[in-house]
Amino acid sequence: MSRITEEIRKKVILKEHGLINVNSTDFPGNYSEYDDSWNFKTFKKNFTIEVTSYNGDDVEFDMVGVDPSIANAIRRILIAEVPTMAAEKIFLYNNTSLVQDEVLAHRLGLIPIRADPRLFEYRPEGQDRPEVEQNANSGDTIEFALKIKCKRNPKAAKDCTDPDELYINRNVYSKHLKWLPIGEQPKLFEKHGGIRPVHEDILIAKLGVGQEIELKMHCVKGVGKDHAKWSPVATATYRMLPEITLLRPIMGEQAHRLQKCFAPGVIEVVEENGEPTAKVVNPRLDTANREIFRHDDLKEIVKMGRVRNHFLFSVESTGCLPPQELVTEALLVLKNKCRVLIREIEENWLKSS
Amino acid sequence: MNAPATFESFYLFDGEKKITIEKDTKVQNAAIFTVNKEDHTLANMLRAQLLKDPNVIFAGYKIPHPLEHKFILRVQTTPESNPSEALSNAITDLISEMSLLEERFKDALKEKQESAFD
Repeated sequence: MSRITEEIRKKVILKEHGLINVNSTDFPGNYSEYDDSWNFKTFKKNFTIEVTSYNGDDVEFDMVGVDPSIANAIRRILIAEVPTMAAEKIFLYNNTSLVQDEVLAHRLGLIPIRADPRLFEYRPEGQDRPEVEQNANSGDTIEFALKIKCKRNPKAAKDCTDPDELYINRNVYSKHLKWLPIGEQPKLFEKHGGIRPVHEDILIAKLGVGQEIELKMHCVKGVGKDHAKWSPVATATYRMLPEITLLRPIMGEQAHRLQKCFAPGVIEVVEENGEPTAKVVNPRLDTANREIFRHDDLKEIVKMGRVRNHFLFSVESTGCLPPQELVTEALLVLKNKCRVLIREIEENWLKSS
Repeated sequence: MNAPATFESFYLFDGEKKITIEKDTKVQNAAIFTVNKEDHTLANMLRAQLLKDPNVIFAGYKIPHPLEHKFILRVQTTPESNPSEALSNAITDLISEMSLLEERFKDALKEKQESAFD
C-alpha cells in the first residue's frame, strides 16, 4: 500500500494511451501518514540545486524538491520578464536599398545588443521626452548609427563573377553598426569594451551598386512581454527527470531489442551469469519516444515515469547577459512581484481592519 | 488595427489598483482577490503555496478573459485564520523560498566552477 502511495505522490506514469498521476496530490490532510503542511525547514532540507553543465551561453541545472508552479514561473519569467536592451526607434535618413523601411527596422530591432540592462533605466513616457534623435539620454538610451553604401570594386579582375569580389559593402552586417556614446557612457562601458551587437556577422541587408543606407537607432530597455526582441533567452526549457523501471529481468534477444527502443546510452546490455541482461544505466538521456509500445512483449514489462519535482532546466542566453546571471535576475524579478503584492495587501488590509 | 498595445499586459493604468479584496457573502472566511496586470506566472504560484497551508480549505484562481490582464483568486479558510492573512503568509513563504533558491543557485555555480578547475 505504501509503495503505491509513494508512486502516486512522487511520479507521473507514462502509459500507452495517456498519462496517469499527472496532478500533485500532496496537500495537507490528503494522506493520513504524511504531514504535507508547508514547513520551511523541511523544504530547505529536501531542496537541492546542482549545475550540471555550464559553458558560454548555455547553462543546465537540476532543481529538486520544488513545486512545478515555481519551476514554470521561473521559465515564464526567463522568457518574458527579464529586461534587456533592443532597438526601438529607427531614424532613417536614407534607404535606397531593396529592403523596405519597416522590414529593415524590424530586423534591426531583433539584433541582440551586448549591454548590461541593469545599468540602464526604463525610458519614461511623456510629452517632455518626445522620441526624436536629439533626446537620447545617457541613462536610458543607447545610440547606434549605420552609414553604408555599395560601390563597384575597382581592383576586381576583369572576368570575375563572384559578387563579393566585384562590389564593396554588398552585404550589410551587424558589425557595420557604430556605437555613438552619449554622456557618461564611455566611462561606464570602458571595461566591457564598449557597447556593440552580440554577434558581428548578422546579415541585415544586401545592397546593389549605388544603393545606400543611412540611419540612427535608439535602443531602450524593455521586457519580452512587450515584444519578443527584448527576450534575453534563445530558449529556456525544463523537463522532469525520467525514470524507467524494468518489472522483471529481461535477457537474451529481448535485452538487445529493449536497448534499441530507447535513446543510446539509456539501457546497457551486460553479461550476467552468462546471459546478456538489460540494465537501466542513464535514464536522464531518455526522450520518451514510446518506441517500446510497438513491441507487445516488452511494453508490459517496462514502466516509464517522470519524477514529479525533479526538474532539469536548460537555459540558453542570446548573449546580452551570461545565462547564470539571467537565472538570478529571473528570481529577483519573481521576488519583486511578490513584494509588490504583499505591500498592497498590507495597505489594503490595514485600511479595512 | 484593433490590437491593444502589448505593454498593457503589465502596465498599471492610473487609478487601477494592483489588488482588490471582496469578501464572499455566502460563506464565512472566504474572499476573492482581484490582481490586475498579472498572469499565470504569479497566480499559479500563489495558488500552489496557499494549498500547502493546513488552514486553507479552498484556493483557486482563474483568468476571467484572456484579453483582460488580471486574475481572480478565491481563498476560503478555517475560522482560525482569515483569507488576507493566509495570502500574506503564502507570499512571505514564497519570498523566503526565492531567497533560498537564489542562494543555493549561486553556491551550486561556484561549486561547478571550482570542480571545473580541478
